[in-house]
Amino acid sequence: MNKPTTQTRSQGGPPTRARRAAGKRSPAPARTPARLAAFGPAARLRRPRVLAVVALCAAALALPQVLPASDVPVLVTLLLSAIVVTGLSMLMGYAGQISLGHAAFYLIGAYTAALLATHGRPTWLGLAAAPLAAAVVAAVIGVPLLRLRGHQLAFATLAMQLILLNVVGQQEWTGGDIGLQGVPRLTVAGYEFSSATSYAYLTLAALALVVIVTRNVVASRPGRGLRALATSEVAAESAGVPVVAYKLAVFSLSAGFAGLAGGIYAFYTGYLAPGSFPVLLSFEFVVMAVIGGLGTVWGALAGAAVITLLLQELNELGTAEGMPGSAPAVLSYAVYGLLLVLVVLYLPRGLVPSATAWWERRRARRRSGGPHDDSPAAGAGAGRGADAGAAAGKGT
Amino acid sequence: MTSSTRDSAAPPGAPGAPAAAVVAVDDVVVRHGTATAVDRVTLTVAPGEAVALVGPNGAGKTSLVNTIMGLIRPAAGRVAVRGRAALVPEGRQMFPDLDVEDNLRLGAWPLRSRGAAARDTSRVYEVLPDLAGIRRRKAGTLSGGEQQMVAFGRALMADPDVLVIDELSLGLAPLITAALADHLRELNAVRGLALLLIEQNARLALELCTRAYVLESGRVRAEGPSARLAESAEVAAAYLGGPAEPPPAAGGAEGDGA
Amino acid sequence: MSEFVQYLVSGLAVGCSFALLASGLVTIHRVTRVVNFAQGMFAVVAGLTAGSLLSAGLPHGLAEAVAVLTAGAAGLLVGVAAVGRRGTSPQSALIVTLGIGFLAYAVEIVIWGEDPRSFPGLGGAVEIAGAHLQKQYFLVIGAAALAFAALGLFFTRTLLGKALGACASNPYAARAVGIDVTRMGLVAFTLGGVLGGVAGVLVTPLQSLSYNSDVLLITNGFAAAILGGLTRLGPALAGGLALGVAESMVAGYYEASYQSVVALALMLAVMVWRASQHTALQEEASL
Repeated sequence: MNKPTTQTRSQGGPPTRARRAAGKRSPAPARTPARLAAFGPAARLRRPRVLAVVALCAAALALPQVLPASDVPVLVTLLLSAIVVTGLSMLMGYAGQISLGHAAFYLIGAYTAALLATHGRPTWLGLAAAPLAAAVVAAVIGVPLLRLRGHQLAFATLAMQLILLNVVGQQEWTGGDIGLQGVPRLTVAGYEFSSATSYAYLTLAALALVVIVTRNVVASRPGRGLRALATSEVAAESAGVPVVAYKLAVFSLSAGFAGLAGGIYAFYTGYLAPGSFPVLLSFEFVVMAVIGGLGTVWGALAGAAVITLLLQELNELGTAEGMPGSAPAVLSYAVYGLLLVLVVLYLPRGLVPSATAWWERRRARRRSGGPHDDSPAAGAGAGRGADAGAAAGKGT
Repeated sequence: MTSSTRDSAAPPGAPGAPAAAVVAVDDVVVRHGTATAVDRVTLTVAPGEAVALVGPNGAGKTSLVNTIMGLIRPAAGRVAVRGRAALVPEGRQMFPDLDVEDNLRLGAWPLRSRGAAARDTSRVYEVLPDLAGIRRRKAGTLSGGEQQMVAFGRALMADPDVLVIDELSLGLAPLITAALADHLRELNAVRGLALLLIEQNARLALELCTRAYVLESGRVRAEGPSARLAESAEVAAAYLGGPAEPPPAAGGAEGDGA
Repeated sequence: MSEFVQYLVSGLAVGCSFALLASGLVTIHRVTRVVNFAQGMFAVVAGLTAGSLLSAGLPHGLAEAVAVLTAGAAGLLVGVAAVGRRGTSPQSALIVTLGIGFLAYAVEIVIWGEDPRSFPGLGGAVEIAGAHLQKQYFLVIGAAALAFAALGLFFTRTLLGKALGACASNPYAARAVGIDVTRMGLVAFTLGGVLGGVAGVLVTPLQSLSYNSDVLLITNGFAAAILGGLTRLGPALAGGLALGVAESMVAGYYEASYQSVVALALMLAVMVWRASQHTALQEEASL
C-alpha cells in the first residue's frame, strides 16, 4: 500500500530505484544515474569524454617534465591522495559506507613496505605487499565493523585509526613515535626510483591502475549490485545481492588502494612516523571525496586536485612574509571547513556530478529546444540518492 | 493544528474564496518530484459545515490534507484557512512514549502563548469521557480505537475552527468507527465545529457529511450534496459498490511512513 | 587501597565529562537524528573561553557561565548549518558538522593559538581513605550530577522537553500538531552546546585542552552515548562513568598510554554487539 504520505518523503523513492538498479531490467539510457554516467560509457557523453581522457593523459604524462622541479612533490602528493580518494569515493558512493579512518590503511601500506625494505627484502616486494596487507587487514576487521552503518561505521573506523596510531607509536619494531628512518629507494628490475619526477611517474602509473580497476569493478555485475546497496541494503538483499560479501570486497579494495599509495609514499619520503598519518589526514580524504563527488572516478581526481592545490596555495600565502606563524593552519582549516559545508549543503552531489548534470541539462535543452528538465541523467531522483551523506547510508 | 496566519495570502472576499469559508482551496496543484498528486483542486468548507472528501487510494487526498495543514507547499494555487485547522492524521500518529495526557497537552502547542488555561485537558475529557480513564497510559500501548480517540482529543486541544480528519475508519473495527462517528456528529451539530473528513469508506463519509467531493487521480470528479452524490449512479458504482467495511489490512503500515 | 580510591574518583570525574558530552550528543540525536561531530568542539570552546575570561580578571563562576553560554551559541550556529536547511539528511548533516569542526579550528587557533591551555579550578584537596583527592574532582562529579538531573527533569516534566522528544519519536505528528521541527532541532543543538560547554569548563582544570582535543573528546562522548543507542540519557551516563573509570584504572595500574585504546576498543565492542542485535531491515524500517 503506497500511502501518499510516504511519497512526500524521500524514503519513498530509493527502494524503487534500488530494485531497478539491482534487477537491472530496464536501464533506459536517459535514466542512467549520474554516477554510472561518470564511470561507465554514457553514449551521449562519449565523444567529449574520450577527448577529455586523452587530453588528461597527455597532460599528466607531460606534467612531471614541464613543471618546475619545486612543484613536482606537490604533484606526487596530489596523485597519492587521488589514489586513496578513488577507493574511498567508491566505498562511500557505492557501498554507502563512511570511513573516517582511511589514513589507517595508508599507514599500514606505508609501514608494510618500509618494514620489508628495511629488513632486507627487495623493495619491489614491499611495494607489492603494501596494498595486500592493507586489504587483508580491512577484510579481517571488516567482518565485525561492516555490521555497522552510517555514523556508527564512521566512528568505528575513526576509533580503529586512533587505536592503530596509539599501538604503532608504542611498538619497538615500528620505531615507536620516532618512526622508521632510512627506508631505501624503490628499485624495480635494476631501475632505482630516486628523483621526485620518477616517483611522479610511478604514482601516475599506480593511479592509472587504480582507475582502471575501479571502472571495471563498477561496470561489472557486482558493481551494479553495489549501486543498489548504496540506496537500500534491504532492497538489494531482496534482489539477491550478496550484501555482506560485496561490502567487504569494496572495503578491502579501497583499503588496498590506500595501502598502495602508502607503499609508494614510504619509498618516496624514506621516513615514516605515526605523526605522518594523523586523523586529520583521514578527514582530508573524506573532504576530497565529498567535494569532488562521491562514487565517481572523476570526482575523486577533481577533489584530490582541488584540495591539494588549494592547500598548496594557502600554504604559500600563509608562509608569506608578515604572516603569523599559525597562518597556514588557520587558512587551510578555514577553507576545508567552508568548502565542506558549502558543497554538502549546496552541491550535495559534489563538483563533478553537479557539473556533469548541468552540462547534460544544457545539451538536452538545446537539442529539444525547450526546458525539458526530466531527461538528464542526474535528475532529481538520482540526486536525492547521491546526496553526499545519503549516499553514505540509509539513515541511521 | 497550524495556526491561522496563512489566510493572509487570501484576504477575505478574494475571488474564488467565499469570505465565510473556513477552508478555501483554490486551484491547488501539488507535485512530488515529477508526479502530480493534486491537480487543480478547488474546495471549500463553510463554518460549521461537514464536508467529505472521498476517493480511492492514491487519489491525492492526503497530499491535499497536508497542503491544507501547511505541511507541504502547493506548486500552484492558494490555500486559505480562516481561524485554526486541526488535523487528526492518518494512522493516528501518536507520540508513543508519552502518556495520553501529554499527547493531549502537545495538541495545544500552537496555543502555548495563551498560558496554562490552554493546556487544560479537562475540556477534552468532557467531550471524550473514555479518555479520562486512560489518561496516564502510554499512547503506544493503546488499541487502535483508543489511539484514534486520543488523536481526536489532541486535535481538539488546539481549539480549532475546523477539524480535518484523515481516514477516520482505517484499521478500526466497525463498532468503534461508529462510536467515533457519533462523536464527530455531536461536535459538528452541538459545537458548530466544521469538519473535513477524508475517508475511503464513501458510504460512511456521505452519511456523516452534508456535502462531498470525489477525488480521483488528483482531480475533483464530482461534488455536491451527499444525498445527491449517493444517488448518482456513477459514484455509487465506483465507490459504494465495494464493501461498506474498510479492509482490515491497513494497521501495520502506519507510523513508519511519517 | 588509597591508590584504588584515587583512580576511582579521578576516573569518575573524567567519566562525568564524557557523560556530559554524551548527553549533548544524545539530546541532539534524539531530536534531529544527527550525530554531531562538533560536540567535542563545544567543550574546547567553553574551556578555552573560560580560561581567557579568568585571566582577564572575571571571577570564577561568572567566567564559566559566560563560557558555557558561548558554547550554547556555538551550538546554535552548528545547528543552523546542520539542520537549518530543509532536506539535509542526517548523514549529510554529520559531514556538515565535521566541516564546522574545521572552521572552529581556524577560529580557535586565531584566538588561542595552537598550544594546550588550562586554568586553575577549585583549589585544594581532601584526604579520603588515604587517597589525596583534588576538590575539583568532586566539583566535576557534583556539577555533572546536577546537570543530568536538570536534563532529566527538562525532558520528562516540561512541555518544551516533551515537544523535543515528540519531534524525535514522530516528526510527522509533531508537525501535524504545529511543532516547528526545525526550530526544535535548533533548540536541541543549543542545548547540546551548553552541555558540551559544561563538560569543557569542568574538565579543563583537570586536563589542558587545545583546539584539536575535540577528536578524543567526541570519540569518548560517542562511546558513552552509543551505549544508550544515542537516544537514552541513563545508559549514556553509565557509559561515560564506566569509560572514565576504565581509562583511569588502565592508566593507573597498567600503562597510561593505553588508556584511550581501552576506551576505543570498548566502544567498538559495544557497537558491534549492538549491531548484532539489529538487522538492516529493522534499522531501515525505524527511520
